[in-house]
Amino acid sequence: MSEVRFRNPGWAGNTGEFDLSEADVRGTEYVGERALDGGHPSVAPSLPYMFVQKDPEAPLFEGPYRERFEKIRGRYPTARAALLPALNLAQELRGHISPETMDEVAGLLGLSDAYVRGVATFYTMYNKRPVGRFLIQVCTNISCNLCGADDVLAAFLEHTGTELGETSSDGNFTVAEAECLAACGFPTCVQINSRYFEDVSVDDVPAVLDRLKREVNQGF
Amino acid sequence: MADNGRKAETVTLTMDGQEVTVPRGTSLLHAAESIGTEVPHYCYHPGLSAPAQCRICLVEVEGAPKLQPSCVTMAAEGQVVHTDSPAAKRMRQGVLEFYLVNHPLDCPICDMSGECMLQDYVFDEGREKGRGREPKRVFGRDDFGGDVLYYGDRCVMCTRCVRFMDEVARDSRLTVVERGSRAVIDTFFDRGLEGASFAGNVVDICPVGALVSKDFLHKARAWDLDHTPSICPNCSHGCNIELHTRDNLVQRLKPRENQEVNGHWMCDYGRANYEWMNRPGRLEAPAVGRGSDRRAADWREALELLFASLSAAEGDVALVGSATCSNEALAGLVALGEEMSGGEAGRVFRSPRAADEVPLPGFPLLVRRRDLVPNSDGAELLGFERAGNDDGQGGLEHAAEHGGVVIVLGDELVDQGEEFGANASLFVYLGTFDTAAAANADFVLPITTFAEEEGSFVNAQGRVQRFQQGLRPPESARPAWLVLGALVAALRGEETPGSAPEAFARLADAHPAFEGLTWEAVGDRGAALIAEAVHG
Repeated sequence: MSEVRFRNPGWAGNTGEFDLSEADVRGTEYVGERALDGGHPSVAPSLPYMFVQKDPEAPLFEGPYRERFEKIRGRYPTARAALLPALNLAQELRGHISPETMDEVAGLLGLSDAYVRGVATFYTMYNKRPVGRFLIQVCTNISCNLCGADDVLAAFLEHTGTELGETSSDGNFTVAEAECLAACGFPTCVQINSRYFEDVSVDDVPAVLDRLKREVNQGF
Repeated sequence: MADNGRKAETVTLTMDGQEVTVPRGTSLLHAAESIGTEVPHYCYHPGLSAPAQCRICLVEVEGAPKLQPSCVTMAAEGQVVHTDSPAAKRMRQGVLEFYLVNHPLDCPICDMSGECMLQDYVFDEGREKGRGREPKRVFGRDDFGGDVLYYGDRCVMCTRCVRFMDEVARDSRLTVVERGSRAVIDTFFDRGLEGASFAGNVVDICPVGALVSKDFLHKARAWDLDHTPSICPNCSHGCNIELHTRDNLVQRLKPRENQEVNGHWMCDYGRANYEWMNRPGRLEAPAVGRGSDRRAADWREALELLFASLSAAEGDVALVGSATCSNEALAGLVALGEEMSGGEAGRVFRSPRAADEVPLPGFPLLVRRRDLVPNSDGAELLGFERAGNDDGQGGLEHAAEHGGVVIVLGDELVDQGEEFGANASLFVYLGTFDTAAAANADFVLPITTFAEEEGSFVNAQGRVQRFQQGLRPPESARPAWLVLGALVAALRGEETPGSAPEAFARLADAHPAFEGLTWEAVGDRGAALIAEAVHG
């Protein structure tokens, strides 16, 4: 790269210029495995990373996931209140929320199937269809758009060889358009699973994808 | 404020410049109603919770920084409210414009047209012309199962239907799917409303044409229908209903509000069973004579002959009534039996019975009862005994072979053969349809159905309820209370009752269970019988 300009790598924003691992940025204690039972009930509903297994056939919920589900249920006064984290957990396990998943979660919480469908479809962060290992959400809202988000989106589609919303043939990538990701200071912002990649330009796209593929190879 | 910190029971506020006093806890919407002002509303329904989400009922309350939703804002002492101020009107016009952004405006082919709240409000207060330049989004229609069809494009997302299924039917099968302009009402994928017992009510409460009845689809325009206050004849609960008729045919049944009987609701079973009121092939004219001697007669001749036969009749009399007949008709039959010299040999009625009752969980007063006829309780009060099985068949062996007088009123005798009444010295059949079992009848007299006459039923709560005439009967059919009343009057030498109210007055005189009730007291809402008299 001929011109060196300031880039904010963020803790996950290593796009190639910096030879830093995430562990270097965040510290090792923040990275890596966390107990699948979710640890303390107060943090059980969410994990810092999406260690998504994406096994659509995974049972709801067994072993440590059952423990985590019980912790979630116990933290809320009503079944309705526990629905969102329960769906999070199901998505973490299965990668998306299928009609069958909605039905099973409804059964587990004693809610009506239609109600669970209503909630699951209200929130865009529940994937109603299967997605690849990495769900690449490119912000195309105002700030990012002004800084070339449309081109970044097009670059992701081109380099992954997919159409919008479609999963690449190797099952790794699904590219989607997102509304504002609340990172307007660092356009274009791209959310990949639960990580933010900021200041992404068209030129950065191959490097980002390479890094993701590396992670797959490392079994991360 | 009064001492003890106790609050007054009523509050006085100023509504559109008019002082109005209402009970504490009255919403502004109802306070406005009490001075005859209708504040537009979609999501608010008196039988459901009020989420205040349609934003069309906003009114200006002086001192409040923003317009207030009148459906959930309670009237307060000294409040000054404007429902028609420029701010409120401007707001309503704006909200209506939003509602029309994606509305297809397909009123000419919409079943709701003519009774649609969106149509009414836009006509009253909406913009003359739309300003939309963008194409409207299109959903098409969705079959919800049961009798319910959903047109997503017409929906205003008031969620009345969702709340009805949640709160009243307690069977949360409907929900809002997706959000924003993509939001639609839907069920859980392929699981529809099949098997739900009260889902038809969502069609009634839909303020627009989004939820429509498949049965009624494109059948009649709302403004062509006549509405007749009536009582649902399909079970003994007697939900208050309206008959909606056109071309002398019942087109649909709609519930009529009565908080002591059915609230705003009725069951799908009752709603769906109306075609029998339109059944063709009715008995057209009185006929006299058995078998090959049978000939048509006019009413005067038939009644004169019948009067002579009754006066001369010997032997006891077997009465077969029907719980589809009004109290007045049944009381007329009882009175006729009492006038006969030979005494009575049984007074029975038959009723098809369902296996179970079907209650409405969110409005426990309303129960689809086991008796699938409207007046089984009235028949029992008038001394008729239940006969036959749960299909409404059998149990007439005695009457079938009776050697004295047999009088059948309203029972179609579908399970009886041609030998019915063969031994009878006199067999009178008052009915709506000819039947094989009437072959031996000496007199076949066409009577009207409940939809074609005025009268009253007693429901399972022990409540007398009146119904009005919605259909024109076949030319020669007469109300049974009139036919029987004329015969009784002739036998007693008194005057024939000239109207259903008169027949009811005679019934109330003759039967202690009905003591003290008058036609006026029963009125449109019904009146309870004295408790001890009910069910013995």
